[in-house]
Amino acid sequence: MTLSRRDFLKLSALVTASAALSSCAPVYRKLAGDLPAVPWTALSANDFLALNRLTFGPRVDERARFVDIGLKAWIEEQLDFESINDLACEIQLSPFKSLKLDANELEGISNQLFDGYDRDTIPNELRQSTLIRQLYSKRQLYEIMVEFWSDHFNIYIEKGNGFYLKTVDDREVIRKHALGSFRDLVWASAHSPAMMIYLDNQANEKSHPNENYARELMELHTLGVDGGYSQKDVMELARCLTGWNVKEHFWLGDFVFKEDLHDTGVKNVLGLTIQPSGIQEAEQVIEMLAVHPSTAKFISTKLARRFIADEPPQELIEKAAQTFLDTKGDIKSVLRVILLDGLALAQPKYKRPANYVLSSLRMLNAETDAVAINEHLLRMGQSYFNWPTPDGYPDRSESWQGNLMPRWQFAFELIRNEIKDTKHNLKNLLDVSSTGILQDDVDALTSLLLGAPLERIGRDRLIDSVRAAGATEEETLQIVAGGLIASPAFQWR
Amino acid sequence: MLQTLPMLHQNKSWMPRLAFAPQNTAPRGDTLVVVFLRGAADVLNMVVPHGEDAYYQLRPSLGIARPDDSKKKKEERAVDLDGFFGLHPNMQPLLDAWQSEQLAIIHACGAPDESRSHFKAMELMERGVDDERGPASGWIGRHLATLNTGNTSPLRAVGMGTRPQKSLTGSVPVSALRSIADFHLGGDQRALQQMRMALSTVYQNDVMGQDTLSIMDTLQTLDPLTYAASRDAKYPDTEFGLALKQTAMLIKAQVGLEVSAIDLGGWDTHFAQGSSTGLMPNLMKDLAEGLAAFHADMFDHQNQLTTVTMSEFGRRASENGSLGTDHGHGSMMMVLGGNVDGGKVHGQWPGMEEGQLIGPGDLAVTTDYRDVLSEILTKRLNNPATDEIFPEYQPVMPNVLR
Repeated sequence: MTLSRRDFLKLSALVTASAALSSCAPVYRKLAGDLPAVPWTALSANDFLALNRLTFGPRVDERARFVDIGLKAWIEEQLDFESINDLACEIQLSPFKSLKLDANELEGISNQLFDGYDRDTIPNELRQSTLIRQLYSKRQLYEIMVEFWSDHFNIYIEKGNGFYLKTVDDREVIRKHALGSFRDLVWASAHSPAMMIYLDNQANEKSHPNENYARELMELHTLGVDGGYSQKDVMELARCLTGWNVKEHFWLGDFVFKEDLHDTGVKNVLGLTIQPSGIQEAEQVIEMLAVHPSTAKFISTKLARRFIADEPPQELIEKAAQTFLDTKGDIKSVLRVILLDGLALAQPKYKRPANYVLSSLRMLNAETDAVAINEHLLRMGQSYFNWPTPDGYPDRSESWQGNLMPRWQFAFELIRNEIKDTKHNLKNLLDVSSTGILQDDVDALTSLLLGAPLERIGRDRLIDSVRAAGATEEETLQIVAGGLIASPAFQWR
Repeated sequence: MLQTLPMLHQNKSWMPRLAFAPQNTAPRGDTLVVVFLRGAADVLNMVVPHGEDAYYQLRPSLGIARPDDSKKKKEERAVDLDGFFGLHPNMQPLLDAWQSEQLAIIHACGAPDESRSHFKAMELMERGVDDERGPASGWIGRHLATLNTGNTSPLRAVGMGTRPQKSLTGSVPVSALRSIADFHLGGDQRALQQMRMALSTVYQNDVMGQDTLSIMDTLQTLDPLTYAASRDAKYPDTEFGLALKQTAMLIKAQVGLEVSAIDLGGWDTHFAQGSSTGLMPNLMKDLAEGLAAFHADMFDHQNQLTTVTMSEFGRRASENGSLGTDHGHGSMMMVLGGNVDGGKVHGQWPGMEEGQLIGPGDLAVTTDYRDVLSEILTKRLNNPATDEIFPEYQPVMPNVLR
């Protein structure tokens, strides 16, 4: 469904008119064609798993579309993300003015002059908008890749001026190249002031070299820790990077190469002799790193870990790495291999906190402004842009299995509609397929959340245990639904 | 139940291993309680150098009278500790711990940073680094990450407040508790019972789920309002008192608590801070009464407990024109516990004469705060990895522990 410009203006006005986003969201999402009034489609176990890897938790309409066109066509549709109409989501982002500002303007709006800096508004808008995109964007694979690269090129928003520079990095580095070429991505990241500040390259000067960024550029961004570089290479690359810096006055917050801080000697990185050529020295190295076989393998491994398994199959990594080299780092081509060859080999992955929260909200078709959701994520340990070390939020299941309580609290607060400005309606959700019998409703909910109904014995035991605690029929359905979201099974995707 | 769920049919090869392999494995040591006095506490009025003439010249209005100053009322005079230093009268509740040699004071202690910016100094201190470069995680976070105590409790490290303190940031999950009730499920008794039943059904074959349920059950029975402290200890009826009380409750409930981080704010006293009474003396009262109650309540646990206080920097040696003090440098730490070399003021006193003060007239730092923390970490928490906890810093043990 496409919208005319007039429709768009009408919808925008509707949003702007209402301060409480969540209250009017269904109206314009319906106009944008999001809510089919049909029962949700039953999925095979494989399809349910695939959709759980390709989205932040499948919505009802996404299940229908997936079954309609099949895995391959779904992936192609999602890879061609720019042709997916995402108006409804974009309208919801319109209140977040900071998303579109440049560094200088962002500094301006956060500088309170005599009261120092407002370090909260800009990061909060970035977090809120990130969650809204993950929840409501139809470009789910793109949003997953944005999250992936935000981890890969992690920046801790609390450090120094990162609190406003990350907004620029998110827009100009991560979102711009998330499904583009890896070379462009790493190039943009290397010229990103937020990254300079986060990894101390603004302190990397001829007289006191600072190796921090040079090391992470090879260890975490390209080659990987076993990628075949030495401490000497780190030191030499750090010398190439001397003078890569951030403007402190006019056009403050922009990238700048400071000639006077640059080490003008000859360098040698990974066997390549680098003649003095100012900013081009490190750029030459970045070109080399971006298409290095170690990089191809490292990036392929991480992608396969995100989508397929904590310990992905070796053959898959090798095939994806070969594609990376053949295409000079075309991210879509590598993803195609990983998804089409890999999904059949998928192993269970424990949902990271954001994935857990988002999947329950999406599957229940909940409405939220994402503010209180971020508070829950903070307690679970994954409020975005809050990971201090440069390796990004961990992607292995074992890292997240230690803290169940905040997940249980979220599950029951959500299901009891106790989260601020967040609403769902089980009755409406079940309406289209309900027979009015509790057991059937529980089966329907279980298929929605876990992909298939429980065995009868397990289902009845769950229902009976809640009833034994004195729940009415309506309460039983609600508490069982909360129990399903809190359950071990729902922690995995 | 677990076996009937579609996603969980698979064999167990994917079951959790430890998140990372810390290089040190050791049994857990003391429970560590870290109290951060936010806003830069005026330590010169907390542990008063009454043997220092310059102190009285620099603070004609704010200075705390000598213990033997007969012109002042007793409740306005410092309480002598060792002939040179004395406690502010409102810090008197700590005298018991001092006399039983379980309280050590390290004066002129602090960080090398001289920015005198709260934001910067707090951040650096919580990260345990010298300047903005270096790891962005917190020193307690790195302590947890470098020591495997075999303890997987979700309450291994707790930040008292709405969010974990920056010092706790790192790869090991920590919990933020405004109150013990944060580890409860919400809802009335009936709803609670129903949720509990649903959880115990879906988690009946899951060890971690069962552990979490049992901690939840334990905590569900704890209520700070009806808690009876040992030895008639009376916690002040303040946020700080409540945080200490709940730390005591968690320790006694044996739910795996290794570190508790507590904040006490409001110390940025530029204006009318008060001498023997007023704004800052009230904060000292809260601090001292809280720590004294905690010390008494935890008397039977003293050998497995170390409490340390810190602040981002000290305040100017001289009072300012608005009967307050401005941002300074050298601060003070207190260490409380059964293994402390207490009843002593440790550290080298740099003096307050002209030429002894630094910068705009501030107390110098003669003991780095990381020396004190390193000694606690290695001797009481069994973690030798101070080179990772405080990177690029070589600690010198100040011998504040026995």
